[in-house]
Amino acid sequence: MAATEIELTPDQRLALETELRALADDEFVLAERYVEWQVHAPTLESDLALANIAQDELGHARLWYDLLEELGYDETDLLWERAPETFRHATLAELPFPEGEWADAIVRSYLFDVAEELRLEALAESAYPAIADRVGKIQREEDYHVEHAENWLERLADGDDGSDHLQDAVDRLFPHALAIFVPAEPVPFGAETVSADGSGAEPYTDGDALPDAATVEETIVEEGYRTETLATLGERWLDRVVPTLESYGLRTPVPADGDITDELVPAACGRNGRHTDDWDALYDDFTHTYRELGRDEATLIMDRPE
Amino acid sequence: MPSETQPETDATPCAYTEYREGPVVDDLPATGAGATGTEAEVWDALYAVEDPEMPVSIVDLGLIYDVGVDDGLARVDMTLTYSGCPARDMLQTDVREAVAAVDGVDDVDINLVWSPEWSVGLVTEAGKADLREFGLSI
Repeated sequence: MAATEIELTPDQRLALETELRALADDEFVLAERYVEWQVHAPTLESDLALANIAQDELGHARLWYDLLEELGYDETDLLWERAPETFRHATLAELPFPEGEWADAIVRSYLFDVAEELRLEALAESAYPAIADRVGKIQREEDYHVEHAENWLERLADGDDGSDHLQDAVDRLFPHALAIFVPAEPVPFGAETVSADGSGAEPYTDGDALPDAATVEETIVEEGYRTETLATLGERWLDRVVPTLESYGLRTPVPADGDITDELVPAACGRNGRHTDDWDALYDDFTHTYRELGRDEATLIMDRPE
Repeated sequence: MPSETQPETDATPCAYTEYREGPVVDDLPATGAGATGTEAEVWDALYAVEDPEMPVSIVDLGLIYDVGVDDGLARVDMTLTYSGCPARDMLQTDVREAVAAVDGVDDVDINLVWSPEWSVGLVTEAGKADLREFGLSI
């Protein structure tokens, strides 16, 4: 069943869009960072591995953006002409790699891919059929991402120098990884998605009237778009990554009682629409060619031949 | 061709290029066997479309899940081997042009579907023969 055949109330639509934006933006922005490694990884095989993982993530971003397109957006709205503050990826995805820090790429991939694995499990039985239909495809392609990261974690942890770099990366990235489990601030419907008679979408074209992130998160779960809360997924993620990192002799900022408080999450965490300064530079980079060529549509790089 | 310098038993396939057999899915691969009239002609047209990377028909590759023609509108349900496939637009254009050229088809509707996900298990016997000839071990 195509998404467009399902009648959505404004609250349902807002919940669906919010979940899809978080999913799609995480994948897209992380891939934009990964490709920087394509010419800088420590071995040719690592170049290929990171490039390949980036290609997977871009493919997955496309699957999620497709569903937003079914709701009335096009690629220019979702990427090339989208206001940078409306991106909802966790800041883990946007942080630049400190020069030469291969350990950062490995820790980032590990933290992200475990989270993605858990999130996909909670989408497999989504009440929105087009989401559930995509999960198997993505899971199949994700299988080796965690394995790749764990192999490298083990290799880097097997030496003082590598361990120091890993610990630095964990210290830097862990708070931004917690951002993955922060409910995303909804984005008002753009005028382009409101149908001619204004049906359905009208109440949320005004940002002031939007429900808050926690309310939208409740709707996402109540409607069954995702079958677990972000809080539950966050606990499962901690249960996986903390013992693994500790087994490599790495410390995490999680207190002994396991309680995560808001103070551990950066104020600008991405999901809340606040980003690091590095996001502006990355956004300018990936939209540069589109702007330089003066494009106003996405698919065609060149004019069609007459 | 056997290597002249390495005994064949030394072959060590890349651990991450794992072509697993997928689950057997009822009604797939769809090949158009039994189709009649315009639908049969649409299947013929699709057989002529090849994957951009390998000389094999997209039907034999198992990418076409269903075809229907209703009052001049042809609907093609298809998938891609890989979500990050860089030839997505190109393949859809090829399919659209091939199907639109069939007599009795006025319009083409392409549905990209992802479930059940494509796997090597959906390649037809003819497709496997083509891929072997191309040099893939399948």
